[in-house]
Amino acid sequence: MRILVIEDEAALARQLEHRLKSESFVVDLAEDGPTGLHLARDYPVDLAIVDLGLPGLSGLELIQQLRAEGSRLPILILTARGSWQDRVAGLEAGADDYLPKPFRMEELLARMNALLRRMGGWAHPVLQAGPVALDTRTRSVTLHDRPLELTAYEYRLLEYLLHRPGTVVSKTELSEHLYPDDADRDSNVIEVFIRRLRQKLDPDGTLNPIETLRGRGYCLRLEVPGS
Amino acid sequence: MMPSLQRRLLVVATLVVAGFLGITGLILDQAFRGSLERAQEDRLQGYLYTLLTAADLRDDRLAVPGELPEAGFHTVGSGLYARILDRRGSVSWQSDSLTGVRFDTGEHLEPGERRFRTVDTGEEELYLLTYGLFWEEPDAGSGEFTLYVAETTEPRMHQLAAYRTSLWGWLAAAAVALLVTQALVLRWGLKPLRRVATDLGAMENGQKSALDGHYPREIRGLTESLNQLIRSERERTTRYRNSLADLAHSLKTPLAVLRSTLEADSGRRIPPEAMEQIERIHATVNYQLGRAAAAGGGGRFGESISVRPVAERILNSVPRTRHAGPPEIRLDCGSDLRFPGPEGDLMEILGNLVDNACKWCDTRVELAARVIGKESHRLLELTVDDDGPGVPETQRERILKRGGRADESRPGHGIGLAIVRELVESYHGEVHVETSAFGGARFRIRLPLR
Repeated sequence: MRILVIEDEAALARQLEHRLKSESFVVDLAEDGPTGLHLARDYPVDLAIVDLGLPGLSGLELIQQLRAEGSRLPILILTARGSWQDRVAGLEAGADDYLPKPFRMEELLARMNALLRRMGGWAHPVLQAGPVALDTRTRSVTLHDRPLELTAYEYRLLEYLLHRPGTVVSKTELSEHLYPDDADRDSNVIEVFIRRLRQKLDPDGTLNPIETLRGRGYCLRLEVPGS
Repeated sequence: MMPSLQRRLLVVATLVVAGFLGITGLILDQAFRGSLERAQEDRLQGYLYTLLTAADLRDDRLAVPGELPEAGFHTVGSGLYARILDRRGSVSWQSDSLTGVRFDTGEHLEPGERRFRTVDTGEEELYLLTYGLFWEEPDAGSGEFTLYVAETTEPRMHQLAAYRTSLWGWLAAAAVALLVTQALVLRWGLKPLRRVATDLGAMENGQKSALDGHYPREIRGLTESLNQLIRSERERTTRYRNSLADLAHSLKTPLAVLRSTLEADSGRRIPPEAMEQIERIHATVNYQLGRAAAAGGGGRFGESISVRPVAERILNSVPRTRHAGPPEIRLDCGSDLRFPGPEGDLMEILGNLVDNACKWCDTRVELAARVIGKESHRLLELTVDDDGPGVPETQRERILKRGGRADESRPGHGIGLAIVRELVESYHGEVHVETSAFGGARFRIRLPLR
């Protein structure tokens, strides 16, 4: 998942980046409004964390502009302005959630996960697909109710696919959303991870959870309740 | 209570009019009475001359023989009498009308002396003209006599009574007319003051933001000063709130950095005291600055906001952020209800309560607003209900206090409800925690309306 952090307080931005990366998110940083708007428009971002008091273009204006352009990017406002008037203004401008500073990192992560989940059409924090269950709260995965050990990247890959069940996801899309720009974007790496994930989800080769469509990408073929 | 200006002026005007017209009436009465008496004196003088013309001295007695032109002198008890006394006081002559009538005369006047007065015979009141004279006839001798001519006062009294009736009648009518005019003039004259009062009322209700009518020169100074005062008070409150917000803002960001720095390196053991102190600073910033902003509030003069749109905005925004998905929400609020303060305060109250209800509810939240109480003591009642677990009786006081969370397992700092209470109290209102009709908690707020 690729997260855009638009925050002018450098120390906080760095800490957010650090923490989000440790949660295996891909993080883009912007220190002012115009840069943030540009990144949100032109980069394959999955979620934006926006501060309200930004130089150049205020957080509210940025959100309004994005929404006016039809963007459906999940946006979480992270601000020192804690009054309900500011909250309502932020949500009315088009933000999806609002977290006043100072905040607990855990709460921010919980809210981000909830937003990402809702974007994927999941109401419940546990994403269930066939025998696979991914709990976004504990970041744990079970297969046939037995715990499954996944690396951070494998987890993110599975989560990304679970958010788009039945849709074809290209290798480029996966690498854009799961790897930072400066990383070595070798599409073979994706193939390696897909293979490992397949082995872990389907050790007997009976489930075939991830279908490969040659030249187009991958598609999660697991039964999702209600879809 | 001080009587109204209009009433004061009317009372004084009534007293002045009554005094003035009373004195006028008395003077006119006196003057008319005087003129009546003078006319009567002249009349009696005329009779006296008639008598003298017809008088005749014979055997030292002065008498008026024969018919007199005034038939009254010849009719018994007619009210017109005449008598002539000689120097010794014996009756020399008297008119026929005096037959059988008690008429005491004893007084003797020197020749040329003349006296006019009113006498009471015991039976009737008379005007009496007494005249002393020396009569001399060449072949009949001479003598000093006193002549009495009297006439009853009755017809004059009738005249006076009729005059008085009409005089006081007209004066009373004039007084009423004057007072009515006075009242109308006062009403018209005090109209600008009443308008100022009405406009101030409209400002208190928030229908006007300043005294913007055209007022007379005399009170323009007052209205302009009032406007100035209200304006500077508003600016002061705004500045105060802004600087509080700035202060909160500038404290929170470094606090966020500090906290995430401590949290960031999960490998290192963080001293629990450090986190605890940060939590304390955080809570203090949120609570004290929120409280200070509330204490600076309490509704600025002439500020009010329609409840319904704010409630709708809160209900549209707040529950969206609920993780379990938005609950079923009902709003019961008339479109004419107004909150006696700025939008921010109402949002803070409703936002915290609705957020709390959404956090605890199962599926339902209801927000209701209504006006209760009588005309002079009207209250705005806001209730927020949920169908969650409710608040146990013993916890109800505590959760409205700072940091008094009923359940530590749900997110929040236990500040929202305390801020609600502070805010509501700054409006001289009350917050109560009760049991909702559908099982959960009910927060009931009552604020006095001005």
